Amino acid sequence: MKKLTALLMAASLLILAGCGNDEKVMDGSGQNSEAGASGSAGSAGTVQGGKGYVFTYKGTTIQVDADAAPIVEALGEPASYYEAASCAFEGLDKIYSYSGFELNTYPSGDKDLVSAVVFRDDSVSTAEGVCIGDTLEKVKQVYGDDCTEEDGMLVYEKDGMKLCFILKEDVAAIEYRSTVLE
Amino acid sequence: MKQNGKARALIKFAVSAAVALGGLFLLQRLLVPKYVDGIVEGAFIAEYYGEKKDFDVIFVGDCEVYENFSPIVLWQEYGINSYIRGSAEQYIWQSYYVLEDTLRYETPKAAIFNIQSLQFDKSQNEAYNRMTLEGMRWSPSKVNAILASMKPEEQFLDYVFPILRYHSRWSELTASDIRYMFDTKRVSHNGYYMRVDVRPAENVPTGRILGDYSFGENAWKYLDMMRELCEEKGVKLILIKAPSLYPYWYPEWEEQVEEYAQKYGLPYINFLELTEETGIDYSTDTYDAGLHMNLSGAEKLARYMGRFLREEIGLLDRRGETELQEIWKSKIEAYEAEREAQYVKYGMKEENGQ
Repeated sequence: MKKLTALLMAASLLILAGCGNDEKVMDGSGQNSEAGASGSAGSAGTVQGGKGYVFTYKGTTIQVDADAAPIVEALGEPASYYEAASCAFEGLDKIYSYSGFELNTYPSGDKDLVSAVVFRDDSVSTAEGVCIGDTLEKVKQVYGDDCTEEDGMLVYEKDGMKLCFILKEDVAAIEYRSTVLE
Repeated sequence: MKQNGKARALIKFAVSAAVALGGLFLLQRLLVPKYVDGIVEGAFIAEYYGEKKDFDVIFVGDCEVYENFSPIVLWQEYGINSYIRGSAEQYIWQSYYVLEDTLRYETPKAAIFNIQSLQFDKSQNEAYNRMTLEGMRWSPSKVNAILASMKPEEQFLDYVFPILRYHSRWSELTASDIRYMFDTKRVSHNGYYMRVDVRPAENVPTGRILGDYSFGENAWKYLDMMRELCEEKGVKLILIKAPSLYPYWYPEWEEQVEEYAQKYGLPYINFLELTEETGIDYSTDTYDAGLHMNLSGAEKLARYMGRFLREEIGLLDRRGETELQEIWKSKIEAYEAEREAQYVKYGMKEENGQ
């Protein structure tokens, strides 16, 4: 009997102490903080290169999940800006539109991190030289065959981010996407 | 002697077990989010159970229903008794099971479903799942809603015993967690979330190009189920698209919904195309730049909806029913009190009413 009671108490303590190392934390608002969500963020900006595929615009290197503040500062005044509150949760998703592309951010702690870079026209190209209007063949020539097809997109994954080519006949859109929010 | 000893041990065990289980129960009550201040959207689904369930109209859907239609105006101006069963990013399978759950208690004349959530074929976020599912009372509908909603990393048991999920909230507890351990306060007006402030819609981005504009099979499956459920119960299903400008509503999505509505003879109202008829002004009727309506916008949409429900669906004016009059009297008082408090809060009126 004593053993059973002790077992029950131990179970209670276990519950309170936490049930595993890979747990996610549900904060006071009921919102998840996914493990690694902020950990994957680098201190981006002009000085940073490299995790996953990156986009460079007028000397500013942009990588997904990086701190957006230095990037936005380096890019200068956007052509337009929009912010969208998510349903229920605090913090804003922000969209900065520049010539040829838009930069999307998501809130993480007290920072905004880059969630996506979306090409809007063919005035910009990837660091590897692909732009809207290029052919599928060119994409494969540049990035190879190690990709997946998802919902009409050709997706190249690298270091936890995705470079997506949306294909109609040719490349209709290009997006650098974070996978943190998936 | 031996028997007495056994009995004593048994009692000891029972008391210990009861203390341990009682303790766990209390801890669970303490640790689960209360949604009474700040983020209140997680409380909406549960509030319905405290109502007298005799509604003419039930809205189901996401924030595009609970922020965009005022049930108070529907009552005051048309005598339509309505309730919104919506929560943040409520997915279509959740709306289906919430409607099924509602029909366990009553059979409204019409169900209004906002089709924005057709864009999702699977749940996107556990926190949103919980805001809808935790508020539902236990029933086969809730069980099925959980099973349909869980992301791969979620566990069913965590919904049965929320303490398993919230055990680490102890460091974030506030006075509200203690104040509302066993009680709660109303945070909506028949499911409607009120905001009176104004932030005009400007620079609303157009949608990104998508690789595939087709709604997913799972989303269609639940729309079919919702339609069949309504047919079976004799409830008129009405599809709507609220006039929210963002997230972007694609013409390709619109075509699919129009085709579906036409195929099954369902009324479909796209409020994005009715700004003149509703009088929605995006410079004054939204509090967050076009995502959701403020009170002014929600009242305008309710007026249009009220006319539609009366003229096209034939709903009758029930303002003459004494019991309903009494119920709505206190609801209207609460609505007006919150409206005035928000006018002060957002600097739109001074405390003395000026």
